[in-house]
This record gives sequence, structure tokens and C-alpha cells, in this order.
Amino acid sequence: MFSSQSFKDGVKQAIGVPALGLGSSMFAFGAFLHSAGFDIYQSFFSTFFTFALPGQFVMAETILAGGTLLNVFLAVLLTNSRLYPMTVNIIPVIRDSQTPKWKQYLGAHFIAVTSWFNMFAVHKSIKQQEKFDYFIGLGGFLWANSVLCTVAGYLFSNLVSYEILIGLVFINPMYFLVMTVSNLKEKKMICSIFCGAILSVLLNDVFPGWSILIAGIIAGSLGYFIFKDEVYE
Amino acid sequence: MSNQFIYLSILVATIGTYFCRAFGVFSAKNIKADSQIFNWIKCVSIAVISAVIARIILFPVGVLSETDATVRIISTIILLAVYFSFKKNVILAVLTSAICFVLLNHYL
Repeated sequence: MFSSQSFKDGVKQAIGVPALGLGSSMFAFGAFLHSAGFDIYQSFFSTFFTFALPGQFVMAETILAGGTLLNVFLAVLLTNSRLYPMTVNIIPVIRDSQTPKWKQYLGAHFIAVTSWFNMFAVHKSIKQQEKFDYFIGLGGFLWANSVLCTVAGYLFSNLVSYEILIGLVFINPMYFLVMTVSNLKEKKMICSIFCGAILSVLLNDVFPGWSILIAGIIAGSLGYFIFKDEVYE
Repeated sequence: MSNQFIYLSILVATIGTYFCRAFGVFSAKNIKADSQIFNWIKCVSIAVISAVIARIILFPVGVLSETDATVRIISTIILLAVYFSFKKNVILAVLTSAICFVLLNHYL
């Protein structure tokens, strides 16, 4: 059964800093597409159907660099591969035994770094049967806001200087970083976060396309196995 | 670049992105939130996100690559300093860092 109250609570959580953090970078993305010669429908569809900003930038850059469709597919797949472990991680938390499969596959579209962090920040205070609808409200609002901000960025790009637009792009990784350091509590998370950052830098020249995924798997495994017996409440 | 090619690119980007999410739902079928594999995947997820952020700051692609690495690093340090100095105020830290980033880009 759908809980409209949980949905509304999720929307409420999304309004404010999460929507501002993601929306500002989506605004800059829309402006970037405008300057790169894309049309407004393409800008709209890009966020509507993919809703994963790093992959959207990679798609546009690959097109502009003269890449083939296969280049676009592989570049986006690798860039957005972070969504795979994030989805495997969040679905068991938000579903219950009654959540239908179609709803899980539909809700997966709203999984992004911002919705993932914000859901994990509050999930313990929400009843299990209400978590999925809460997440749909949270992620769905962030998604709709992102689509609107992309279109707004496309339409109003002339009103904002290029320097400000670059500043808006920078807001999103800074917001991600703050959300990440807010998880510096459990030793296994601290180890995973630091090793992930260091390894991705070290591996960048060795495996340019794969460094993030390889760094994440090695660093996460190190954090998990070294502090496997850690008890944290 | 033709319009048709851009639409096809959006289509393949959509398939590539949704595949990661849909395969994640499929893989999570038998995973319980209190299992050991769940804890391992949580560590991998946060490590991947951390790796993404480090790469955006140090080796960005797209518009951020036109900015100076020193400016990005200084702005990141300012973010963390403000965040931990002002009771973990997210919006203050992010906005201060972004404003410093814009100003440093302009003046350095």
C-alpha cells in the first residue's frame, strides 16, 4: 500500500540543501549543453532519462569529441558503474517483503549519490514498510527538480557568467564530499573512504577508465576485512 | 553532430545508466540488510563515491578541467575547515567553498 505521508516526508527532506546542491550543478549542466549546441529537448531528455550528472557530462563530452555510440555507451557505463554497488546497498534497506518488483525497478531510477546519502542519514528513524515510499518522495523530488534545473540552466544561461557556472558545477562534488565525511564514524567506513580517494588518484594513470571502480572495490574490501569485527551502533 | 546522433547517444547513455541500477536491483534480490555481504557492499559503495570525488577534484573532465588544480584543492580545504569549524553546517561549508572557488578562479 502506498503511504502518501511517507512520500511527503521524503519530499520534505529533499527540499533545501539536497535539492540546492544537485539543482545548482544541473543548472550549470543545462547551460553547458546550451553553449555546446544541444537543443532544449535533448537537455530535458538527458536528465529525465539518466539522472546521473557525471555520466551526463561524459556523454556530452564524448559526443563533442567526435566519439561513436559505442564510445558513449562504454564511457557512460564506466562512469555510472558506481550506481551498481549503491543500488545493491540501498534496495535491501528500503524494501520490505511486500514491495513489488516493478516498484523496485522503477524506484531504482531515483538512486543517485544525493538520494543515497540522504536516505541512509534517516532510514533508521523510519518504519520499514514506509521506507520505500519515503525514498520515492526523496529521490523523485530530486529527480524532478534536476530536470527543471537543467531546463532552467539551458534557458537562462545567458544571464549567468561562465565563472559563476563553473562555480555551480563545483557545488555538487563539494556537497558529495561533505556527505561523505559525515560518514567518518565507523573505522571500516573511514578506512574505505581514505583508501578509495588515495587509490583512485594513484590508479588514474594506470587504468584511466577503470580507476574509480577498481579503487572502490579494493578500498571497500580493505575497510571491510580489516575492521570486520568492529561493532558500531 | 547530427540531432539524430545526439538522441541515439542519449538512448545508449540511458541504457548504460539504467543497466547499472537495474542490475543492482536484480543482484540485491537475496541480500539482507543485516548480512555480511551487505556490509561489504556498503564499504565498496562509500569507497567508490570517495574515489569519484577525489578524481573530480584532482583529475576532472569537462568544464572543471579548465580550472587550476591548486584552486580546487584550496577550495576543498576551505570546505572541510568550515564544515568542522561551524558545527558541521553543510550549506555554510558548501557555499563558502563555492564562493572562494569562483573568486580564486577569477583572481589567481
